[in-house]
Amino acid sequence: MKKDLARVFFLCAVTLLTTGCWDYTEIELRDFVVGAGVDAVEPKVIVITEMAKSTGTGQEAEFRPVVLTTEARSLTSGAHNLANPSGMEIFWAHAQVFLVSEEVAQGGMLTILEPIIRARDLRSTMYLLVAKDCTVEEVFKSKPPLLTGVSQHLTSIIRLSAISADFVPQQLWQFTGDLAAPGISATLPAVELVHEGGNLMPVVMGAAVFKLDRMIGWLSKEETQILALLKGESEGGFFVMDTEIKGNTTAITYEFRGSQLKTKPIVDGERVEMKVSLSLQLGVAGTRGADVDFSDPAVVRGVEEQVARYFTRRIRDFLRLIQEDYNSDILGFGRLLWRREPATWRKIESDWDAVFRGLPVDVEVDCRIAFTGFRAQPIKMRN
Amino acid sequence: MFFWKRAKGEQPKTRDLDRLSTSLETNLKWLRSNLFADDDTIVYRRFKTKEPTRQCVLIHANNMTKHEFLSDYIVRPLMISSLPKELHGQRLIQHITEQVIQSDGATVFSSYEKLAEGVVAGAGAVLVEGCNLGISVDAQGWEKRSVTEPQTESVVRGPRQGFTEDLGVNVSLVRRKILSPELKVRMMDVGLQTRTKVAIMYVEGIAPKELVDEVFQRIERIETDAILESGYIEEFIRDSPNCPFPTIGHTERPDRVAGKILEGRVAVLVDGTPFALTMPFLFVEAFQANEDYFHHWMVASFHRTLRYISFFLTTSTPGLYLALVTHHPQLIPMSLSISIAAARKNVPFPAMVEVIAMGLVFEILREGGVRLPKPVGQAISIVGAIVLGEAAVGASLVSAPMIIVVGVTGVAGFVVSKLNDTAVLIRILLVFTSAVLGLYGFLFGIMGIMVQLASMESFGIPYLSSLTSLTIQGSKDTVIRLPWWRMVLRPRHLAPKNRERLHRQSRSKTK
Repeated sequence: MKKDLARVFFLCAVTLLTTGCWDYTEIELRDFVVGAGVDAVEPKVIVITEMAKSTGTGQEAEFRPVVLTTEARSLTSGAHNLANPSGMEIFWAHAQVFLVSEEVAQGGMLTILEPIIRARDLRSTMYLLVAKDCTVEEVFKSKPPLLTGVSQHLTSIIRLSAISADFVPQQLWQFTGDLAAPGISATLPAVELVHEGGNLMPVVMGAAVFKLDRMIGWLSKEETQILALLKGESEGGFFVMDTEIKGNTTAITYEFRGSQLKTKPIVDGERVEMKVSLSLQLGVAGTRGADVDFSDPAVVRGVEEQVARYFTRRIRDFLRLIQEDYNSDILGFGRLLWRREPATWRKIESDWDAVFRGLPVDVEVDCRIAFTGFRAQPIKMRN
Repeated sequence: MFFWKRAKGEQPKTRDLDRLSTSLETNLKWLRSNLFADDDTIVYRRFKTKEPTRQCVLIHANNMTKHEFLSDYIVRPLMISSLPKELHGQRLIQHITEQVIQSDGATVFSSYEKLAEGVVAGAGAVLVEGCNLGISVDAQGWEKRSVTEPQTESVVRGPRQGFTEDLGVNVSLVRRKILSPELKVRMMDVGLQTRTKVAIMYVEGIAPKELVDEVFQRIERIETDAILESGYIEEFIRDSPNCPFPTIGHTERPDRVAGKILEGRVAVLVDGTPFALTMPFLFVEAFQANEDYFHHWMVASFHRTLRYISFFLTTSTPGLYLALVTHHPQLIPMSLSISIAAARKNVPFPAMVEVIAMGLVFEILREGGVRLPKPVGQAISIVGAIVLGEAAVGASLVSAPMIIVVGVTGVAGFVVSKLNDTAVLIRILLVFTSAVLGLYGFLFGIMGIMVQLASMESFGIPYLSSLTSLTIQGSKDTVIRLPWWRMVLRPRHLAPKNRERLHRQSRSKTK
């Protein structure tokens, strides 16, 4: 019996003494941060947080987003200072989005990201976004249609990325991974405010282009579509193209129904070239009632060729933009070389910016109309 | 209540009883003044035989016997028969036994002790003037409850028979299920005062001999004065007596007993209770229901799985809730953690107190409902539901999520009724470890329970056996139940020598 008691005591002692962090805190004494952002770094860090507070209890409980702003010498101390105005223990693990202003992004992301990555209770699955033409505070104080707040609204938009090519979402771990990996530059989706029924509403659209950790420019919504296509992350979305059919030009709406992307480096001695082949499956979503008969193979072939030409042109324009204007390898051509042709990569690694600027890229687009909705023939009206 | 009498030196000594006298009057006097003194239920019926007249007495205990039987088959034949004059003593008694008394059960006795034993057990004892022997005739007849469906183990599909309080009836119920001479029933008397009849049933050739001997020895070792229910025996002979997990099974259903002994187990039936014991009892058996074997095997397997999940829920929900809410809100989805926080906003007690108090209230209500008569019990549960569900939340004494936790815990507990009481204790343990150390403590508690379970045995068989088996045949009747034509072998541990239960011919037919 004595032996048993000693054993139990020993086990309890071991359990208590070898435990790491543990902490009993009542859940109602915590404040849940659902989103945060930084508006400025110098001279003081301006930290904006959105918390989900509830009013009422039980069935009458309502969530009200509360936005708090503090200024401090560093991000960490700013976050810590929030406990005072909030009156509760701040709980960060549920933060879903982190916004930075354009100014902060241009000044370098590392100063902001380093303490975030270091913090033990922030998730690396947080989505990073850059506020475009507005401050982070303005974004958090805007009025999204969802009552639960801006962060929730942004998260639900980001979840739509599977069917929308207007932005390419980036989580914290993806962004920091791109910063560290050789031969790739990062992008982050942009948040803009739009007027909607007298209110300002945040939308996610376009992208911010980075070189190392500094932001150097923007991509428009259309350019981001190409970015999504060439990163192989586009699964849905629509576009309208003026299509010429039997001499008539009609604006036809097409739907992305799938795409296969192959990017291949071709090394021939000193010469390095990239070959991008994109094969698109499209659906026809609407012809504005025009007399287009998709049951005619000649029509379909004509449309497919035009779409292929259209995309080849857009991709070439996009490549010119990122190669010559931004000189930022956001498609990761360098990383592809590093993986496939390590020997060549080692030779040109130090000079990659210059090589990338003049890198010949062979673009080949193949298009197939896979689906025309429930109709192939046009709808004919009674004469 | 009788346990303190087990202490050595306090056992009641059997009275030193003399042999019967040849004088009827002496015998009666002795019985009246000593053995049956102050017992008004004993009936002494004096009568005489035909010429040559002999004085006889029929002694029996009132209401323990069938009066018509005694009159028709003992008293009347004796009264109308004339016993040969030359017969005396033993030969006379033999004559009466063989030619006069018309009963299938009659034994000759020569001591007061045997006489008393027979009379209190419902026999009629016949004494004849001039003989120092008597005849004890079986005439038991008392009120019995009829065979009805057991209340604690009702089924949707399956036999509606349940054991009664009468051992004879119970043995016959099992015997009717297994019409084989291999079924053995051995009787014992346990309890110095109660002399309770105990039947040990097993199938010879399937149940290992060592197991049968072990059960015998353990029951023989019981030194107590009373056995009023099979629970007494269970506690005396079980393994791991200080662990709340059952190591001996009990059931009210003859079909269950038959199923168990056909797998190589031993059943112990006790007079005076409808609850039979089966041993060894393994952990998996707590999750088996007899209905599993009557339903389609997929349905049965689904129900089994449900029971395992329910056992996890009933033991772990409060502990897990507490660990997640107080230590790890990051593991709860965001919107849920915010709504739990909102629900708990005006609750004055810490979550831990809330969990413990609500658990306590639930157990009190359950206990109240069980012990009270049915109509009152229903009232209790209605009051409990209204008070707890509505008023307590409305008054912000407890949060609504807590009501859900208690509800899930309670309902899931009823699914695994055999381990329900055990689950309460585990639940309390896990609540405490979780409150102190969060999920770490929760897992520590689970590990402790697993270690305990794995170290337990029931009659020499590992408690977790078949659950830990790695072969299909070994685990065919655990979380899932395979169809009958796949259950080729009996459980390995239970019937090691006679494992085949499906004959080769029928096996090939079904394939």
